[in-house]
Amino acid sequence: MQIWRSLRAVPSWIYPLALAVLVLFLPALGIDFALIRQVQLACILALVVSGLSLSLGYAGELALGQAAMYAAGAYTAGLMSIAGYTDIVLQLVAAGLVALAVGVVTGIPGLRLGSWSLAMTSFFLVLLVPDIIAVFGETTGGRGGLIGIEPATLFGHVLDPENNEFYLVIVVVTIAWFAVMRNLVVSRHGIAFRTLKQSPVLASSVGVSVFRMKLLGYAIGALPAGLAGALFANIDMFVTPEAFGFTFATAVLAACILGGAASVYGALIGAAIIQFGPNQASDFQEYALVFYGGFLIVGGVLLSGGLAKFGKAAMARLDRAAGLAGTRTPDPAADGPRPAMDLMEGRILVVDGISKAFGGNQALNNASLSAEPGQVTALIGPNGSGKTTMLNMICGFYKPDSGRILIGDNEVQGLSPDRVARVGVARTFQTPNIPEHITVLEAVASGRYSTDRVSMVATVLRLPSYRRVRAADLAEAQRALEMVGMSHLRDETATALPLGMRRLLEVARSVVAEPRVLLLDEVASGLDENEVERLADLIRDLRDAGATVVLVEHNFRLVLELANRIVVLAQGAVIADGSPAEIEQNPRVLSEYLGVSVEETGARTIADEEAALSTEVKS
Amino acid sequence: MTILWSGLALGAVYTLVAIGYNIVFVSSNTFNFAQAQLMMVGTFVAYTGLVTLKLPVLVVAVMATVTVMILAGLEEVIAVRPVKDHQNQLVTTLGVATLISGATQLIWGSEPLTVPFFGSNEPITLLGGRTYPVEIALLVLAIVLVVLLGQFSKRTVTGLALLGISEDREAAMLRGVNVRALALAAFAASGALAGFLGLFVGPKTFAVATLGSALAIKGFVALAIGGFGSLPGALVGGLTVGLVESYAALELGSEYSNIAVFVVLIVILMVRPAGLFGRVRERVV
Amino acid sequence: MTAGATTPLLSVRNLESGYGDLRVVWDVSLDVWPGKVTALLGRNGAGKTSTLRAISGLNKISAGSVEFDGQDISKVPAHQRVRRGIAYVQEGKRVFHRQTVEQNLILGGYVRKMRRSALKQEVARIYDLFPILGEKRGLLAGSMSGGQQQMLAIGQALMAEPTLLLLDEPSGGLAPVIVNEVMERVSVLKEAGLAVLLVEQAVEAAMSVADHVTVLDIGRVVMDADAGDIDDLAVLRDAYFGRVGG
Repeated sequence: MQIWRSLRAVPSWIYPLALAVLVLFLPALGIDFALIRQVQLACILALVVSGLSLSLGYAGELALGQAAMYAAGAYTAGLMSIAGYTDIVLQLVAAGLVALAVGVVTGIPGLRLGSWSLAMTSFFLVLLVPDIIAVFGETTGGRGGLIGIEPATLFGHVLDPENNEFYLVIVVVTIAWFAVMRNLVVSRHGIAFRTLKQSPVLASSVGVSVFRMKLLGYAIGALPAGLAGALFANIDMFVTPEAFGFTFATAVLAACILGGAASVYGALIGAAIIQFGPNQASDFQEYALVFYGGFLIVGGVLLSGGLAKFGKAAMARLDRAAGLAGTRTPDPAADGPRPAMDLMEGRILVVDGISKAFGGNQALNNASLSAEPGQVTALIGPNGSGKTTMLNMICGFYKPDSGRILIGDNEVQGLSPDRVARVGVARTFQTPNIPEHITVLEAVASGRYSTDRVSMVATVLRLPSYRRVRAADLAEAQRALEMVGMSHLRDETATALPLGMRRLLEVARSVVAEPRVLLLDEVASGLDENEVERLADLIRDLRDAGATVVLVEHNFRLVLELANRIVVLAQGAVIADGSPAEIEQNPRVLSEYLGVSVEETGARTIADEEAALSTEVKS
Repeated sequence: MTILWSGLALGAVYTLVAIGYNIVFVSSNTFNFAQAQLMMVGTFVAYTGLVTLKLPVLVVAVMATVTVMILAGLEEVIAVRPVKDHQNQLVTTLGVATLISGATQLIWGSEPLTVPFFGSNEPITLLGGRTYPVEIALLVLAIVLVVLLGQFSKRTVTGLALLGISEDREAAMLRGVNVRALALAAFAASGALAGFLGLFVGPKTFAVATLGSALAIKGFVALAIGGFGSLPGALVGGLTVGLVESYAALELGSEYSNIAVFVVLIVILMVRPAGLFGRVRERVV
Repeated sequence: MTAGATTPLLSVRNLESGYGDLRVVWDVSLDVWPGKVTALLGRNGAGKTSTLRAISGLNKISAGSVEFDGQDISKVPAHQRVRRGIAYVQEGKRVFHRQTVEQNLILGGYVRKMRRSALKQEVARIYDLFPILGEKRGLLAGSMSGGQQQMLAIGQALMAEPTLLLLDEPSGGLAPVIVNEVMERVSVLKEAGLAVLLVEQAVEAAMSVADHVTVLDIGRVVMDADAGDIDDLAVLRDAYFGRVGG
């Protein structure tokens, strides 16, 4: 155990780095040529697979066109070499850009309909590769292949195969790319991708444009395939369309699933296994498809996280046995200290005459309400009253048929959800939606994704702008956790917490984005009395700090306790709007909740209602 | 005109694949990537039965139907049922497709095999174009199946149950429908159909494993054009793809035929993503 | 809590249930007798629908028991509970919009294992109970009004010849006069010997047919009494607004 503890004390990126250095120096260790070649091919395969990992494991989209982008990269590099541009760096850049272009152009249509269409459209690309090669047969050499590729050069120096110089280039490119991937994936962008994969709805509600993000994932996934293609073209100095067919595409997918799509190094593991395992058997070619098919079935059914997930689970078990941090079961009862809350700058929310019909059903009928800063405005109503529709309308998930919605001076009706989020509307959902395998602190920090932005390039290169934003992320998240009294849980795995804590976490995530309007959708449902109390305290603090809080709730006691103003919806229209005392006395509210028809009894007070009702029942 | 018949017959094959996709889609809300490969197995069994073993046609038909039905049933139980989300189902059904491709190559080799049509193989002239009986048979089969299955879904209790499942699975359960068993039955039935159709498709496309992926993809394009879940849509979509492919090959060259179909796919996805007869639902949070 | 001193057809004891992680029903016990209506009341969010979903088999039961006709059905899958005689009419009029009235009704008779032609005869009985459905038999269910869809939903459930009918907020979104019509039919069914568990937010409508009343608040029973023993609806209203401690 002591050994394990010392191993874990070292920063985790040291190990892959050590392995990388080892691989770099393999030729110097006297390894024979055949093995060197296998390592080269494994690296190239790993690059292609990592592109798929990014789009599948992180963005959640099964985009199978890597083989086509790999081909694009290979032919680009090959043609450049024939034209005299043998510098490998130039070829890599060009190949990368071409692959990127192919990825973006073919990704757009496929993204419009969702997973099946994207998968099939991208798979179609693989089918098209030999045809496009044939169409441009004169330049590309058609089905016979591209010949005449000159050996690669680096800044004028020819890369000598005898000295394994090209081997070094391949390994360096692979190391560099995986370092980039890792930096991207562990950053807030990686968390944003994972949020997107888990729930596009949640992602848009924190300001992430789903379409752009998915396209970005798919496009970034195209880059390494292009790089790999350029490297491949220079290994044998010969490119033929047969290398890019369905067998290769299936091998890429199999490697991805086997190694684990949602892990940074899964691509390396999967590629290594596929390259060094099945590919070794000389009559493997015949059995290749059977193996890949088998891997895919087993992988899809059983290993839903791949071997990398097994590895992580084993590590976690060892961690627990060694008593390391992040493994205690959190003690939710323990109350952290709660500092005073910072001022929140709420804005007034105005809903003006909103109507919405779905098919023949009029869900909202000329409904209006307003919510002011420094107040809790509760929205209540029976089933089918339109509360959820109203909330979704404010957030931008539906467009109203008529009417306006304003946040401060900004009109937001009809805007997409991510844009509404960026205007400053934060919302919690009935079912907490938190990505797995991240800490409480990171989960809360992810709320700042759109309010404080940093580019992916800066993130990958760890530039000062990235460091500044990261520091702010952590500081703000810490403060938000202190406000909800959960700062002692900051390093726990977010999804391991009980429901009540996760609700509070969601509120903290909404608050960290400094929202103008805070929409709380049934935050109290499923909570026990203690948890409801903590929630109520939090909401009071938020209100007193100046936030505009809109509370949609079924728990009537809570509503009466907290609300400054109650708006009652029934059958799509606002039937009452006033203070809790007024609403409690309101006969129409009574009739909507109790189903008593006011017209029949003609009564106007509760006492009258009771009397009328009891005579009805007795008769 | 010859091209017209040839294109329509090819389109009919794509329609038949798309019909298979639709049956599975309606009953289990899944996309079975291996549908076309199942049909290819049917063509191989037809070859073995007719050419190698020289068995009577009806026996071969039964062989093909039963073999593929069992395969499809196995696929549902092993690769579809245990997998909960759509993403992974695509991976596992693609795995099955790959496995079948590989296995058929091992058993029958990779050379295309000629499957004789059990009817006549003599060309006939129709409306000024030359065509073969198998091509007419494919076209007729596609149309007849669309009509028959449409009637089945509306006029039998089981058919109504399947329609119900595709519209509201929970409500169907509450009417006493054993949704899981019916999904398995429908899956197996789509396999049986694919196997039987092997006797017709084989003569047109040859029995060759590598064709499976191309069929799968173009069958999908037929689905995208017609709309998921629509049988008439599958017919319109399939015939469209067949005609586009054939005419592009004729006018522009064979390397342009797939590209032309791809362009059609992109256009449909941009202009009418739900397909011609499909339904777009309002997004619900 | 006897409402007639006969054995209950449905007996739920200490039910705990919910959706995945979320517990919505914490501790619910109730009974339903043949030929009687038990009204399950409470505001929305109280766990009424979740209780019905647990009884019908759509939601898993994490604790407690559900006994139907003397047998524990907690492990019986939903579609088989229909076969045993439990029919659940969900809230929101969940009929098959893309099928006609007649097709919907025929599908309702799925468990009877009869041929379509035989079922068509059975459908005639439903048209006797709900003449408006007979008039609109060829129309798509999606094109009908809310009240007509509600009757179709009930008719669909009745086609299975259930002994226990679970009705979830049949008054939802309907005008009072239509609600009365629906409740009248429920009375007729009750007279015919059907056991009915009626979930409602609309108290008056429910009280017009109820023999027994159970009120839920946040997943627990806060009131349980024979309808005849409720003189003063103030008690009911208090239970509704959560002002009753126990």
